[in-house]
Amino acid sequence: MKIAIIDFDIGNVRSILSAFENQGANVCLTNDKNEILESNGVILPGVGAFSHGMDSLNKYGLIEVIKEYTESNRPFMGICLGMQMLFEEGDEFGKTKGLGLIPGRVVKLPTKDSQNEKLPHVSWNELNSKDIQWSGTVLEGVKEASDMYFVHSYVAEPDNTYILSTTEYSSYNFCSSVKLGNIYGCQFHPEKSGKNGLKIVKNFIRMCENE
Amino acid sequence: MSDKLEAYYGLPNEVKFCKKCVISNQRPSSTIEFKSEIGEKKKVINFNEEGVCSACVYHAEKETGIDWNDRDGKLRELLAKFRSDDGSYDVIVPGSGGKDSAFTAHVLKYKYGMNPLTVTWAPHLYTSIGWENMQEWMHTGGLDNILYTPNGILHKEMTKNAFHNLLHPFQPFIVGQRIIGPAMAKKFGVKLVMYGENQAEYGNSIEENTNPIMNMDFFSSEDALSMKFGGVSMQEYIGAGKYTKDDFAPYIAPEKQDLIATGVEVHYLGYYLKWDPQECYYYSVDNTGFQANPVRTEGTYSKYSSIDDKIDPFHYLTTLIKFGIGRCTYDAAQEVRNDKITRDEAAYLVDKYDTEFPDIYFKEFLEYIDTTEDEFWSTIDKHRSPHIWKKAGGEWKLRHTVAKTGVDD
Amino acid sequence: MNKIRVIARVDVKNEFVIKGIHLEGLRKVGNPNEMALDYYNNEIDEIIFMDAVAAYYDRNSLSELIRKACVNVFIPITVGGGIRTIDDIKNTLKSGADKVAINTKAVQDPDFISQSKKIFGSQCIVSSIEAKAIGGGKWEVYTDNGREPTGKDVIEWAKYVEELGAGEILLTSIDKEGTKKGFDVELYQSVASIVSIPIIASGGMGKSDDAVQLIKRANVDAIAIASVLHYKLESIQKIKDTLVRNQIKVRL
Repeated sequence: MKIAIIDFDIGNVRSILSAFENQGANVCLTNDKNEILESNGVILPGVGAFSHGMDSLNKYGLIEVIKEYTESNRPFMGICLGMQMLFEEGDEFGKTKGLGLIPGRVVKLPTKDSQNEKLPHVSWNELNSKDIQWSGTVLEGVKEASDMYFVHSYVAEPDNTYILSTTEYSSYNFCSSVKLGNIYGCQFHPEKSGKNGLKIVKNFIRMCENE
Repeated sequence: MSDKLEAYYGLPNEVKFCKKCVISNQRPSSTIEFKSEIGEKKKVINFNEEGVCSACVYHAEKETGIDWNDRDGKLRELLAKFRSDDGSYDVIVPGSGGKDSAFTAHVLKYKYGMNPLTVTWAPHLYTSIGWENMQEWMHTGGLDNILYTPNGILHKEMTKNAFHNLLHPFQPFIVGQRIIGPAMAKKFGVKLVMYGENQAEYGNSIEENTNPIMNMDFFSSEDALSMKFGGVSMQEYIGAGKYTKDDFAPYIAPEKQDLIATGVEVHYLGYYLKWDPQECYYYSVDNTGFQANPVRTEGTYSKYSSIDDKIDPFHYLTTLIKFGIGRCTYDAAQEVRNDKITRDEAAYLVDKYDTEFPDIYFKEFLEYIDTTEDEFWSTIDKHRSPHIWKKAGGEWKLRHTVAKTGVDD
Repeated sequence: MNKIRVIARVDVKNEFVIKGIHLEGLRKVGNPNEMALDYYNNEIDEIIFMDAVAAYYDRNSLSELIRKACVNVFIPITVGGGIRTIDDIKNTLKSGADKVAINTKAVQDPDFISQSKKIFGSQCIVSSIEAKAIGGGKWEVYTDNGREPTGKDVIEWAKYVEELGAGEILLTSIDKEGTKKGFDVELYQSVASIVSIPIIASGGMGKSDDAVQLIKRANVDAIAIASVLHYKLESIQKIKDTLVRNQIKVRL
């Protein structure tokens, strides 16, 4: 059983590697098409700007690879920028096309009052389920209102159907995680969210084992 | 080099650096300052066969060979002998309110239950941080102090002579500073004087470290008139017509017989407690309102050591000129011994800071010693020993440095 | 209002954690990886590792330490001290850091912040500011671990680094740090009133109430604490409980 973490020169992947290893997975960092397609699970990390992220994926020829992989319905998870790129379009530095795997757009996090609600949103914040079922998803066993670590200025706006959790910032409830089939996205960083985050990592690993 | 270069002051010809710390074999030992003669031969720190200096050897001994519980017991016995029961002062602590004296006075009062009177021989020119720390020593540290400031006209002239004749501007200061403890003890009827660290820890003969008591020769004199200040005897100052013996009152060392008769004893706390200067810094911040220098002290990397006198940097400048080692070498050597930095790190720092010229108070120093910049450099250059300095490309360079970056290395 | 982040500031020299006062002194207080793990297990929100002697030795050398830390510490890690080139940032992030803190280099060459932000993104770039009070409600910017004055005004400099693209400001009071006598509240009030990026307050915490006093009166987003943890004056749990009791939200 192997989980591939996509390497496209963006962000701190060492922590993701460590987190998955810590939870018992066999992981590799790769941008090799075959290695990705042969994995039992794939993680798309990322920090920084939407347009840079998409450019980089393009440069490594990964856009088609990712689309092909997700068609097989095996577990896939985008983290932070990785989640944002799952969507159709992003607003950062002008309109950029995303992977289009989940309907919806990525926009700047609306803040009411720049003094009290600063950007980027850098903080621990709670995941709310509203009425969404978390069992059977990567959030299984995560307690309602658990804190996860967020650092971002942009958020995804998917169709309600795909919202897995919401989080409140500046009186605005944004989508903090998504699910479409076996494709997941976390706006926060599970590999940086302490023991709660590690639960999510463990859940993903289990899903890959069961597939 | 086939020919041996001349070494001034009878210093060892070959410049060597301690294998463990960064001090060089040119470092002079403590002397009886009021006997300092022009051009006299200096006794220097000892290096053993392994090339390790006596300060490092002593330090190793400190770490493993001394029973500090036993020493603490001895301290308590000593203090019990002198502790007053009628509210009078029972120990004199000389000091400036710097980290060492701040620690010494505070710990004697608040841990050991003594009633200290701190006495300060005023710095030539207080820095603002020095003055604040001095005040805080009293206001926050909860201690009593007498600040003794000697006649500036005489002191400046002596310092000027000391600079030009000995390239040792601090010489008169040190005379006064050593005398004030015992002198005040005599005046207040106190029998115990307690200094902080034993200077022997820095490189005097090891035997001096086995003795808690300061050699009386440092602060007593049989014949006041023969005492020398800046290489000029008291008799000569008076003979020149500007001063009388009255003016020298602050410097006249108590007579040895007098001190012995009154039972005055001068001890080093550093004999009884395991000394770590940096820990004295922490203690004094926590207990006596001490603050580090707001900026890096010139000539070194640290901010906590010897920061109260504007003239202080010039003391270290003269050690650099005469012995090839500046303030950073002294600071770094101490921190290597006390395990704060490694020898390599120390060498790097010495290379970076040792020869930094103390600009900030240069003008004030020149004014203080009534000397022009040309006269200043002329005196400085006269004292550059050929075995330490070489003129290369129109500039004076050290022949040897601990980081092996000297022109002859 | 965001949850206040409680961050452990770990100053490192070689293989030791050290703790100074007024950014001076090298007293050893423990092992960096052990201490980081201990704080992580006790629910600290973030760790900042500062190479305390990078300025002395013109080097930076925390990569090995960070690599080890990432193996079992799963919270954000910021690394500062001697970050001077784009490569330094790249290597530091590659070792496992999430953010880098930059001071001296930015003062010498402010463009370094904008360059870094373009390449790595604001969220990675923390502007570290060392502030010394100079009277009259003003503070001066210092560099080289609190050794060299720059003549720059802290408020103006903070505004400028925000414009250049820093994601957060780590603001250390040289006067208070290591003293355990409380934060320089006015400093944070002044800076918070003119920047809109998150501010991490560092320097002076001796007891939980110090944090309460600061957060109630100044709009900071996080506190970076050292002495109180390294000397075990109070536990992380107690600090967080106290904040919660005073209606300050934290991650529990």
